[in-house]
Amino acid sequence: MKMNDTLIQDSINVANKAISKISESDETTNIWMWIALAELVIIAYLILREKFKSKVSSKQQFKSESLKQEIDFNNIINSSFNSEKLYDELKVKCHPDRFPTDKEKNLIAENIFQQITKNKTNVKRLLELKEEAIQKLNINF
Amino acid sequence: MFENAWNNIIDWFRDRSERAKLVRSFNESAKNSFVSGIAPTLLKASISKGENSYKHQFSNWLNSGYRIQAFTGRVLTKDELIYIGKVILADSVLVRKLIVLGFDTLEIHGDAGTYGCRWQLKDYIPLPKFNENE
Repeated sequence: MKMNDTLIQDSINVANKAISKISESDETTNIWMWIALAELVIIAYLILREKFKSKVSSKQQFKSESLKQEIDFNNIINSSFNSEKLYDELKVKCHPDRFPTDKEKNLIAENIFQQITKNKTNVKRLLELKEEAIQKLNINF
Repeated sequence: MFENAWNNIIDWFRDRSERAKLVRSFNESAKNSFVSGIAPTLLKASISKGENSYKHQFSNWLNSGYRIQAFTGRVLTKDELIYIGKVILADSVLVRKLIVLGFDTLEIHGDAGTYGCRWQLKDYIPLPKFNENE
């Protein structure tokens, strides 16, 4: 009987030791688990950041598209002082009513006249149209 | 949040540089045109206070006016000032650029005193409605 008691006592001691060992190793496992979790959070943050970075708002997109285009200030300043006179000259010379008999020329003149009206403040374009009128309509300026 | 603030700071500096570039390019072209005899008057662009009631979604808090002033040379009539304004407003690319850079007012002034004309830029280009929560 006494021998059985000591045997039980011993096995309880051994069990206690084993439990204490497991709890010690649990603490170290916990630390590694937290490190892994932190890494996971960092990776998730980086992935999400990249995902949101590519989503540019429509306002920013509108802005960047508008800023990409180049402006011809030389043409603007030239147009400010010289386009009115050129437009007045072209609208008279290229009017479709000047070609009442020739249907083909009348059509070309109508097209050029529309372009002239549309670009009446753009000297560069008006000069191009003048050249076109000289070639296609045989007008002498 | 920090990244957003940082982007805003960078955008602000970039806009400032683009605004200065727009004024500088205009002045350079105006000077060349005057020297070569294309323009009878020397025009000079600058940034002005602008009109408060012309504000739009891209408007700057301060200095939202793009002013063009006639300097030396022939004195321009009111019709000529209006025509210069019309030429600038007819260039949709320039108007778009002015708007996105925070300008809301176009001012064309003569050399004497403060007479001149001004236009509301947002009237000359259809601005899409943007979702501010984006």
